[in-house]
Amino acid sequence: MAAWYATLFVAGSIAIVVLTYFLTAVSLEQRDQQIIHEKLGEYALVYERGGIGALTDLVRAQQSTAPERLFVRVLDRGSETVVLSGPEGWRPESLQMASLRLGDGTLVEVGKSTDAREDLLARFRAVLGLVTLSIVVIALGGGLLATQTAIAPIRRLIDAVSRIIRTGRTDARVPLAGTGDAIDELTSLFNAMLDKIEALVRGMHDSLDNVSHDLRTPLTRLRGTAETALAARPDPERYREALADCVEESDRVLVMLNTLMDISEAESGAMPLQREPVRLADVVARAVDLYHDAAEAKGVTLGAAADPAVVVSGDRTRLEQAAANLIDNAVKYTPAGGRVDVEAAREGDRAILRVRDTGVGIPAGEQPLIWNRLFRGDTSRAERGLGLGLSLVKAIVQAHGGTVDVASEPARGSSFTVALPILSPM
Amino acid sequence: MRALLIEDDKTIAEFVVRGLREAGFAVDHEADGEAGLEAALRQPYDVAIVDLMLPRRDGLSVIDALRKRGKTTPVLILSAKRSVDDRVKGLQAGGDDYLTKPFAFSELQARVQALLRRATRSPEPTTLTVEDLVLDLLSRRVSRGGTALDLRPREFALLEYLMRNAGKVVSKTMILSHVWDYQFDPQTNIVDVLVSRLREKIDRPFERKLLNTVRGVGYVLR
Repeated sequence: MAAWYATLFVAGSIAIVVLTYFLTAVSLEQRDQQIIHEKLGEYALVYERGGIGALTDLVRAQQSTAPERLFVRVLDRGSETVVLSGPEGWRPESLQMASLRLGDGTLVEVGKSTDAREDLLARFRAVLGLVTLSIVVIALGGGLLATQTAIAPIRRLIDAVSRIIRTGRTDARVPLAGTGDAIDELTSLFNAMLDKIEALVRGMHDSLDNVSHDLRTPLTRLRGTAETALAARPDPERYREALADCVEESDRVLVMLNTLMDISEAESGAMPLQREPVRLADVVARAVDLYHDAAEAKGVTLGAAADPAVVVSGDRTRLEQAAANLIDNAVKYTPAGGRVDVEAAREGDRAILRVRDTGVGIPAGEQPLIWNRLFRGDTSRAERGLGLGLSLVKAIVQAHGGTVDVASEPARGSSFTVALPILSPM
Repeated sequence: MRALLIEDDKTIAEFVVRGLREAGFAVDHEADGEAGLEAALRQPYDVAIVDLMLPRRDGLSVIDALRKRGKTTPVLILSAKRSVDDRVKGLQAGGDDYLTKPFAFSELQARVQALLRRATRSPEPTTLTVEDLVLDLLSRRVSRGGTALDLRPREFALLEYLMRNAGKVVSKTMILSHVWDYQFDPQTNIVDVLVSRLREKIDRPFERKLLNTVRGVGYVLR
């Protein structure tokens, strides 16, 4: 590209130089031509007025005084030379000639030596050659330099990328030149992309670590159950029990694995959300319907108050999952005679999903910890569960660009508030 | 009924084959995609169960090749991948249903039966009967031994599902997805609550108990 540009530039310069030279040469020749013709006209006039004698005198007079002597020859009707005068050492081939035949057949020839002009043009050629040479040198040198300067940041980018590919280290970054140009912009975009990749890789790595760690406990239980049964004296009834325990435990492992994967995906931003406009009231209605019987059986009143106009952009299944998990918790930790109220409303530009209960509440010290994976508070240990529900709720809500908060007072109840960006009032 | 299982894991193949044979199927098993495709093209099977990750030829390509040869055998896909995308891909390739590993055998059996019902287009019954328990699908009335029972909609849906699968164990997950159309696992035992409610109505007043719990597996009406 740069070489192509330099070539074009040099070719253009040479064309201009050649044209300049050619025009100069032509104009010099035309000037000489004009001088010769003027002379011819003058001699013709003198000849017509004073005859050959006057012309001869004039030519002699002019040739002795003029700074540059012209070549003058006058031939009579019989082609006999009447007057001949020329510059010192003239040669026919270095003369630019013109002639005029007068009324009586006399032929006047005027010539001008081209030596001076050739000399001038020769010097001009030398100058132009020098100029052209400088142009070529400057064009190539400058072009090369400019290209190098322009390419350097790209070169650095290439080096950084190949280094990252070679070493697999995603923590390498390309230094910014600080010029604020397009290359700088590209560099910072590239760095931003690396940041994102690094976060994803780290997230995946962390979640893999966590998942394998979290699965060890249930797998130990599973193995223990089977091993204990095998080690004991053969007893079909006992085997049945152990096998049933194993199936239940492996179901729990599966649920746990699925939930952990969901949490990890949502946290790392890799959860595929099938976004669509979702009416929060529908989410509330389905989740409340799911827990209606379970709450009733426990003697807990499950109430819902949903504004049908609140619509968010989200993954319906995931939002239902989040709502169900919150209601699940609320029902679980609310004793008989209590209430769980689910509400969907608009507050400013946020869509609010709130689950309030009159349950056991969460001690202030535990409140920041409830979002951690596998956290089981002292009050919650008695209940069955994985300790993943709230982590999943938080991960899903955050994947939707929302927030979830808790307000709780021990023995009085808890209130979980999910706030999501509202789509539009429908 | 003839079923073909294409699955490379020996243990899984063994328990699926045994389970289906016990359920009255004639089952053939192939352990790789090429052999599976050959068998499926050679023999007229009523249903095929195809794993996706197979040696020599993957499951999707087996299904694709079957469909291109004009074979309409219903196919149940088995896969360790649980994402929606994979499910969609499987169904687009010509699979009829998709089951994620690990699965309960009862669920596999129920899905195979559903595929067969769909394929044979057996006439939809209007009443379901198990012993002296009768469920009328049109009037939505339930009675046992002539005594009318008053069921709530969810209880009715659960009973209908259990009666359609009478004699077969259905898992909690299957009940959850059929009765509530929820695809995830709530921690509170919603299914237990509904089952005990239903039991209260259809079993408690009667001598013979029909709704049984199979610990670790699920529930069965028999």
